[in-house]
Amino acid sequence: MKISLEWLKEYVKFDIPASELVDKLTMIGLMVDSQEEKDGDLILDIETYANRPDTLGHLGIARELAAAYGLSLEKKTWAVSELEEDTAGIVGIQIMDEALCPRYCGLAVKDVKVGPSPDWLRRRIEAMGLKSVNNVVDVTNYVLFATGQPIHAFDLAKLEGGRVLIRRAKKGETIIDLDGRRLELTSDMLVIADAVKPQAVAGVIGGAGSAISESTRDILIESATFDPVSIRLTGKSLGISTDASFRYERGTDIGFPPQAARMVASLLSGMGGKAARTLIDLYPKPRKGRAVLLRRQRVIDLLGTPVEAEFIERTLAGLGFKLSGQQNGAWLVEVPSYRVDIDREADLIEEIARFYGYDRIPSEPTPARSFEPAAGKKRDRLNRIRRAFLPQGFDEVINWSFADPEVANLFGQALVPVPLKNPISVKASLLRTNLLAGLLENAAWNFNRDLEGVHIFEIGNIYYLKDEKPAEELMLGILSAGLLPGGGWWGKKTSSDFFVLKGALEAFMKDLRYEPFTFEKAVHPFFEDGFCLSVACKGLEVGSLGLVRKGIQSRFSIDRPVYAAEMSLARLFEKQPRPFQYVSIPKFPCVVRDISFLIDERVPFEEIKKVVGRVNVSWIEAIELIDHFSGPPVPKGKVSLTIRFRYRHSKKTLQAVEVDQVEGQVIEELKSAFDIQLREGKIDK
Amino acid sequence: MSFKEKIESLKKKFEAEAARVKDVNGLEALRNAWLGRKKGRLTGLFNELKAVAPEEKPEAGRLVNELKSFVQKTVADRGEDLRKTVTGPAIPDLTLPGRERYVGSLHPVTVFEQEIEDIFLGMGFSIEDGPEIETDYYNFEALNFPKHHPARDSWDTLYINDDLMLRTHTSPVQIRVMEKKKPPIRIIIPGRVFRRETPDPTHLPMFYQVEGLVVDEGITFAHLKGTLEHFLKALFGEKIKLRFRPSFFPFTEPSAEVDIECLACGGRDKNCRICGGTGWKEILGAGMVDPQVFKNVNIDPEKYSGWAFGLGIDRTAMLAYGISDLRLFYENDIRFTRQFNIK
Repeated sequence: MKISLEWLKEYVKFDIPASELVDKLTMIGLMVDSQEEKDGDLILDIETYANRPDTLGHLGIARELAAAYGLSLEKKTWAVSELEEDTAGIVGIQIMDEALCPRYCGLAVKDVKVGPSPDWLRRRIEAMGLKSVNNVVDVTNYVLFATGQPIHAFDLAKLEGGRVLIRRAKKGETIIDLDGRRLELTSDMLVIADAVKPQAVAGVIGGAGSAISESTRDILIESATFDPVSIRLTGKSLGISTDASFRYERGTDIGFPPQAARMVASLLSGMGGKAARTLIDLYPKPRKGRAVLLRRQRVIDLLGTPVEAEFIERTLAGLGFKLSGQQNGAWLVEVPSYRVDIDREADLIEEIARFYGYDRIPSEPTPARSFEPAAGKKRDRLNRIRRAFLPQGFDEVINWSFADPEVANLFGQALVPVPLKNPISVKASLLRTNLLAGLLENAAWNFNRDLEGVHIFEIGNIYYLKDEKPAEELMLGILSAGLLPGGGWWGKKTSSDFFVLKGALEAFMKDLRYEPFTFEKAVHPFFEDGFCLSVACKGLEVGSLGLVRKGIQSRFSIDRPVYAAEMSLARLFEKQPRPFQYVSIPKFPCVVRDISFLIDERVPFEEIKKVVGRVNVSWIEAIELIDHFSGPPVPKGKVSLTIRFRYRHSKKTLQAVEVDQVEGQVIEELKSAFDIQLREGKIDK
Repeated sequence: MSFKEKIESLKKKFEAEAARVKDVNGLEALRNAWLGRKKGRLTGLFNELKAVAPEEKPEAGRLVNELKSFVQKTVADRGEDLRKTVTGPAIPDLTLPGRERYVGSLHPVTVFEQEIEDIFLGMGFSIEDGPEIETDYYNFEALNFPKHHPARDSWDTLYINDDLMLRTHTSPVQIRVMEKKKPPIRIIIPGRVFRRETPDPTHLPMFYQVEGLVVDEGITFAHLKGTLEHFLKALFGEKIKLRFRPSFFPFTEPSAEVDIECLACGGRDKNCRICGGTGWKEILGAGMVDPQVFKNVNIDPEKYSGWAFGLGIDRTAMLAYGISDLRLFYENDIRFTRQFNIK
């Protein structure tokens, strides 16, 4: 809301430096966003709140300022040049829907000379950032910005049948509005109609048909109260927001329409107009004043400071509240009609706090009467996942939850995406069903900025329709492409590959003790056929990893191979991690033996491991693949493997013969399962 | 050859062998050859003593022991010498750069979120979360936003259908927690929230927020102030200037907004791009829990009171580090992310 200091001074006299004023307003909840010098006036732009329509005019701001400084408001009188007639003798007004229009004032003004506004009026209108239209329109706007009460002026001559009906629009009715738009009206919209057709959309916008023009002489001034919800719904469905509807949908002062009408009449009198002797004031069900009980102890309890009774009384009275019946430290507080935001004790306490000054309320620690668990399990798990990836050189990313339907299609997922009803753009009209699209976008972005390698992970939700209802699922996405970090003068940088990704994934599963986990060959829409594994924890499939399909990554213009994984953390978290157990440090030495052999390259290592695992000896401490080699001198079709076994007994030093025997068993198992060829004798290290 | 001659010849042999020792391994071999428990030459010599005539035995024994002492001392001395002149790898150019290992970075939002969480964990708060797709009831109605009220305009919403939406704040989790847990309540709720905003330097359709809620008997506005002051000072430093001013949120009454001094200009630049010359930057919204909100979750507002706050994590990080454009947070330019690794 723009506030002119010059105009404000018509309501309250003050001589306060602008900087202090700005500070004061801000500290009572009227935050000054910006200020601007304009022709010797200072225009403040004040941030107002949806619950405070009373601050949407100079009068309301003046009230606040007066209360803050203990000043009193200037009494204004509005002189009117009167006709011998009553408005009722000139026009007939009828409210057909009292719920949507609880009060309607009409006042006829005749013989107005429509023309340019006088300088003083033009100055006020321009201070509000508007263009002066003509004296009549400017007067209606003037009253709106002065008091917050919207005013509409009809050209009386254009109102057919000399009648005004405040009714719901009929099905199929239309109106051409002041801006020349043709509006389709519906029966839940309130209109101001004459005997024949709608002349205005009540509280929202006037019609062109009865608008003030150069030829207008006689005017009907409308000063009314409309139902806020109805105005809001009408404005929204027509896509129109005006200074009037903005105020009406927040709630205007139902006590004010007659006075505002007289104010308009008085101003038009200065332009040759003659107002009818009386106005029509239709107010079928006058509202009862609201009274709220206020307890001083409650004020103290909520604010945490002993606010004086005298301060409470002075502040509320200064704001126009009437306090009565003080007893036992409580008052009955009558709320003025312009304060539509106040109907509870807490609302009054806020008024007291605002003027008491938030800065005067002490600062104390919040006492605790209970112990709370520290971080939840979920946070702990997520932070551990992050901690597992960082040392492996993976950076964390966070991407939008939105997806572009065109891109989403590429991923060939069976999940049904959730569409947004009112997206910002088509490219963000779905919710994402995977994390990979975002990760690929990140990879492309960074490759385009000369990064040699991108190794990233993201933790976040995907969304999809499940039984036609939107569901969300927490996922982990990992991507690795290009050169790996590391390398330098001591050695070359190496490129990422599938096993970098797999290793990162294994590391995090182990780190969180989600063991045992297993990998299986799998087919997945994200990954090239044959170049994809699924991963399961305790038999529950939780994700997939592989080489991203050419068809997908080419959409992101990435030329190097991209390895990625997508896992459901929601599913993983359904499984209990292996309990942590302390194992005492071994006392006895370890015997290390390597077995090297040639084997058909088509035998998966996983199979070899299974066969080795058949040797059921508790003191095989670890089995590691330490060499994997093909190409000369290894014969074609074969691969040379070296598997390192660590043997260690918890209760004794192992004898060479014992190890020999087990090693023999391992070799026997391998020989019986596969066609292997031992490469050299055992090495005892 | 007399026994004595034999001893002397052995001594010469030993001296010759010892002279040939060049390294630790050689010395070890020498030690084994002479002093080894089973096959060492001296061990053999002691065995030979048994065959010496009884009258010569004392003298022979003395000679053998002398030789043994000599061998032991020589081996020990050579060992000492070798340790002194040990030759390791050639000395490299020590000014070459170290072999630094790359450690990945957390996303700055995570860094900041964890920092905020840690401050509140230190004050005995616990952490809660909730769904990102919310119902109208939890996102608005239970928080005292009447249907069709213009107050909803400040929470521009991305809808899925008439009832479901992407949550516009983490406040619905307040309701979810109060529905299932009775006071005392002392929680924070970090999470992803959404607004129907076209991305620009200061607006995003998705960002991160942290919400806090305290409910108990005797909770006051003074507690709100004290706790949030402590929090902001922990985040921005003890010297940061703060101000609490009245504001409006449907779910708190009284409501407050908290400003911190402009970190860019300190209020000294009338044309400051960050604060617009006001010297202050809005950092969080807060207030005493509205009695209607308590009623909606069956908590008696006469018995209990509480305070709540909400703060944008990315926006706060933006202020803290002078980041000019919020969009940077979600571009995921690794050069941006990596900077926060050393924060």
